[in-house]
Amino acid sequence: MSGLHHARAQLLRLAGLRPYAPVVPRPHARPLTCTPVRLANLNLPPRRTILDSEIEENFLKGSGPGGQKINKTSSAVQLKHLPTGIVVKCQETRSRSQNRKIARRLLGERLEVLELGDESRVMIKGREERRRKASADKKKRRKYRGLEGGKGDEGEGEKQEVDSEGKEA
Amino acid sequence: MPRIPTSLLRQARKLDALLPPLLAPCRDLGAAQNELRWLREHVDKVASTRGHREQDTLLRNFVQQRASGKPLQYILGTEYFGPVEIRCRPGVLIPRQDTAASVTHVAQLIGRAQSLPSELRVLDLCTGTGCIPLLFDDVFTSTRRDVPLRCLGVDISEKAIELAGHNVMRVQREKKDTTTSTIELVRADVLVDPFAEQAIDVPSLKAALNMYRLPPFWDMLISNPPYVSPSAYWKTTTSSVRHFEPRIALVPPAGKGQDDTQQGDAFYQRLITVARDVEARVVLLEVADVDQAVRVARMAKDMQMFDGIEIWRDEPDQCSDQEPTEQDGFAIVGRGNGRSVLCWRERGGLWLGKTPAWESDADRLSETYRSMPRLTSKYSF
Ligand SMILES: C[S@@+](CC[C@H](N)C(=O)[O-])C[C@H]1O[C@@H](n2cnc3c(N)ncnc32)[C@H](O)[C@@H]1O
Repeated sequence: MSGLHHARAQLLRLAGLRPYAPVVPRPHARPLTCTPVRLANLNLPPRRTILDSEIEENFLKGSGPGGQKINKTSSAVQLKHLPTGIVVKCQETRSRSQNRKIARRLLGERLEVLELGDESRVMIKGREERRRKASADKKKRRKYRGLEGGKGDEGEGEKQEVDSEGKEA
Repeated sequence: MPRIPTSLLRQARKLDALLPPLLAPCRDLGAAQNELRWLREHVDKVASTRGHREQDTLLRNFVQQRASGKPLQYILGTEYFGPVEIRCRPGVLIPRQDTAASVTHVAQLIGRAQSLPSELRVLDLCTGTGCIPLLFDDVFTSTRRDVPLRCLGVDISEKAIELAGHNVMRVQREKKDTTTSTIELVRADVLVDPFAEQAIDVPSLKAALNMYRLPPFWDMLISNPPYVSPSAYWKTTTSSVRHFEPRIALVPPAGKGQDDTQQGDAFYQRLITVARDVEARVVLLEVADVDQAVRVARMAKDMQMFDGIEIWRDEPDQCSDQEPTEQDGFAIVGRGNGRSVLCWRERGGLWLGKTPAWESDADRLSETYRSMPRLTSKYSF
């Protein structure tokens, strides 16, 4: 057996670039896929920030052993906003980290609508979108994939299952 | 496995003709719908240039594979480990989210340390896809750009080392020249005693470190070793795991005179010995449950070299609202099943924000105690 080949199979040295590479701030890991584009010129209020202490987070992964013994595909995230009792669930992507971000954004939007009503980002954007649609006069009737009923079903894009529980807090 | 009720099958068929076969592996409708959506997205991605008919055939083929029990991650070829996308291939264990939670938490704790070595060295034994060094790097370097990270992933399986190499290159390519981390991979047998007669095939860890002039000392040791006993393998793993994931990744090899439990625990004594030899200050070992955690914690205690030992549940960063919160003098923190054992000594205690045992200044000690009661282990020597 050739020594070189042997060595290759045994050690993979995968060095990053030199330590004196410029320190560049890391870009956001992955852009949120469903943020609408081309609404930049609208006058939007800043996003509602949510403190970690205001929410209770749950990864809905069921009971059972976990670890090596089972290989789960559930990446669902459920957030409960303690002061209002609003519950938001997201399993849009296979990445739990990504779902956590999306769930936080959805919850932020819900809270904004609650607090700012018509002046919230969602409402402003919704009005703008409807205006554009109307002016374009393009009816694009998309059939729903009809997957709304099932629990744990989180549709595409903004169509998240969002349900609010009674005010408990 | 209980049969799927016909009413559920009917309900699924009404929604989509491809859903009923997915109920068997997914068990519930919501999960089946999610998986079908992801399979569709995958087809859209890999066969975007193909015709409608071809895409349809491909999707049917994927659904069939999934219905036979093949893990979704092997069909899609990837899994998310924390935020890091990891490539998966049959022959190498699919990374688990529970592992990601422990690794994320330890990387966050270390990332908050006031003083760290000028280069932080992390040894990951039984690295599989290389997911642990990649996630540790991702989490750690997002807070600490001042400390370069050097990781070494070790595995006995050639397939694993190859796949890990692929994963590391892909992720580092994405990060371009912003990274100061180095991740290396080496094939070695962790179990084999370096002083025993050596098989020529795969070197011992020590021999491999020597052979490739890798550092003999490492600040941290992390490992998710095979930890399922033969009887637990038959009784508690799901059939999809048994039929599609490599047994060598799950069940330790049989040793002379071992009972079932001892075989399941076979890696830990060796791992703790390696931790001593490489002078690791922080050790994180994944386990199956609280019982195994306590056995491993005892082994570590018997080595008489750690300043503290505690047990983590699946989500170690969540409040412990679960009993027991202590067993045999070891604190059990977090929420979920028992998932890992954390040991530290000397500076490792400071890196983790723990109270070092030799800290004699009583005031400081009690202050640290007060400020982070949950982080302080009940167990110290
Ligand atoms: C449970 S898997 C963990 C993989 C990865 N760290 C993860 O968390 O997904 C255990 C790994 O240990 C490797 N392994 C089994 N026996 C080994 C040995 N004697 N020495 C080194 N690695 C071994 C297997 O090939 C497998 O990749």
